[in-house]
Amino acid sequence: MRSILGWSMLLLVFVVPVLFLFLRSITFGWRYPDLFPSDWSMRAWHVIAGDPQILQALLTTMLVGITVVALNLLLGIPAAYALSHGRLKGVVWLETILFLPILVPVLAIAMGLHITMIRLGLADHISGVILIHLLPTLPYTIRVLRSGFDRIAPGWRRLGDTLGAPRITLFVTGLLPMMRPSLRSAAVLAFVISLSQYVLTAIIGGGQVTTLPLLYYPFFDSADQAVIAGFSVVFAALPAVFLLLWESLMAGFTYLLRRT
Amino acid sequence: MKRYVPLPLLLAAAACADGEGGAEDADTLSEAPWEEIEEAASGAEISMYMWGGDEGINAYMDEVVAPHLEEEYDITFSRQPMDAPEFLSRLMTEREADSMDGSGDILWINGENFRTAKENELLYGSFADMLPNMDYINEEAPYVENDMGTAVEGMQVPWGNVQYAFQFQGAEDPPETMEELLDWAEENPGSMTYPDVSNDTGNGFVRHILHHVAESPEDLAEYDEAWLEENGDDVWETLRELAPHLWREGETYPDSLSQQDQLFADGEVSMTLGFNEHRAESLIEQGTFPEDTETIGLTSGSISSVHYLSMPFNTTEPEAALVAINYMLSPEAQIAKLEPSRWGEGHILDLDAVSSGERDEIEAMVGEEVVPQEDALPELDARYVDWIQDNWEQEVVQQR
Repeated sequence: MRSILGWSMLLLVFVVPVLFLFLRSITFGWRYPDLFPSDWSMRAWHVIAGDPQILQALLTTMLVGITVVALNLLLGIPAAYALSHGRLKGVVWLETILFLPILVPVLAIAMGLHITMIRLGLADHISGVILIHLLPTLPYTIRVLRSGFDRIAPGWRRLGDTLGAPRITLFVTGLLPMMRPSLRSAAVLAFVISLSQYVLTAIIGGGQVTTLPLLYYPFFDSADQAVIAGFSVVFAALPAVFLLLWESLMAGFTYLLRRT
Repeated sequence: MKRYVPLPLLLAAAACADGEGGAEDADTLSEAPWEEIEEAASGAEISMYMWGGDEGINAYMDEVVAPHLEEEYDITFSRQPMDAPEFLSRLMTEREADSMDGSGDILWINGENFRTAKENELLYGSFADMLPNMDYINEEAPYVENDMGTAVEGMQVPWGNVQYAFQFQGAEDPPETMEELLDWAEENPGSMTYPDVSNDTGNGFVRHILHHVAESPEDLAEYDEAWLEENGDDVWETLRELAPHLWREGETYPDSLSQQDQLFADGEVSMTLGFNEHRAESLIEQGTFPEDTETIGLTSGSISSVHYLSMPFNTTEPEAALVAINYMLSPEAQIAKLEPSRWGEGHILDLDAVSSGERDEIEAMVGEEVVPQEDALPELDARYVDWIQDNWEQEVVQQR
């Protein structure tokens, strides 16, 4: 009984709004106070599919997002592990410094970053955009992973040492599987943050790196709700696609681990 | 244009500033005959920075301009959806870093943004005289030389001309002058509003009030602080008197035109407004606005606003950009722009300079003018825009 209630709550909060947006995108002239739409039109989807840059933008968005997640994990796992189990001096200071990029409004430093990017030859490149997306994502990744590592008792490591397992084996077969929920949260969070960057992408990417928000946000300046709703559905679908990819990757990893 | 370089490699190469020599500037190019420019333009890839939030405008660029440039000149054209403040801030940084390897080649710009760009030397230079199709444009028109008080000096060329107009739904006898509009608001409490003046549409409405207060448009022809000292209070007084009859009794205003359009679409207010007298047509067609929407241009005067095309200082393909701009000024491209199912906005052609066939086509397309030419008011100096922005909040909103 309780789980039915739980599931219907989930549906109500997460699925119904997206369905409503989808409905909004395929109706014609659905205005207050009509309770139900009377006319249907695929116009909004024609506009979205007809944009000559839409496919490229979707691919770029996924590529940027996935690379940002990979770099986040690559840099975030060691940092979080060191903060949690490293017995470092001045951990509080270190953590504050690593968290600083979130405390400073990104817009305030965007211009300066752009100059640096131009000097490095990274402006207008997808690599510059990926790099700049680390700024609003990495601090969160470190935070999330750190609390994940905090929940793993140091005893596990000592147990591995006693059994004579090399550090790397211990890490891959012991710690990482235990970290799976935290890794998933960190990855999805980083992906979603990267997905929603508009200003950073526009300034550093210079319109040469067209991600979905660059096509989508200008429509908020129009009264065209159907197109906005359609784009929002696409926007909401991307994290779901990412989660699917992530889960299959994890399943593959677990399978490999079991076999060896 | 796109170069993908592995990230670590780029990080290692700390200082490899792009020093690919500057593009030729406007002076060297202006010597060249047009045929040579066209030849040099062939095969180039260019992109244009422009706001991308209107499907009609996007369709015009993608379905008319881009294919023509491709076929006729072998130029690959793409639009980069970016708003003026963003591309200006980018250009400013690129100016500071002396980056001559810009990623945009054409800018869509006017008014205050043009002034900012010109003052900060973000523009390519004076290029208008190089374009053969400038012959189709009425050189006498004031907007060719002057854009809201900033001298144009050939650094941008007019692209389109739109009138300020008002849309009503369900109004039996919609007002036709500013006087009548103010009375109408009083008789229909809660039916009218206008967007916050930080928005160009809301600001434009207050500029109409300035014209309403002024005895003749000549009083406002140039920025005149003494006039503002004397008459500024009348402007605010008019708006303060209007406020209690507005939507939510003037306690709050829509943040943007899109918000007001949505209020209008939902029937929450029964009027909306904005530049481009034909803008309601496509909104009705796509089902956003109700069918009985009626557009009115005020006979007491309606501001006409011109927007322009320009080139940034660091375009890498100036020849192709010139060819593209030249095409966008041609009668063919201007007539296609009138088509209401795509963009549907006013042309800047001199009707005496085009062929008679083209003139007939234009007249058929424009149909009955919403705002007759004699009712058009000139756009005000950009400093009036600033004056409205600086004082409106305190004089009108906080006096409630």
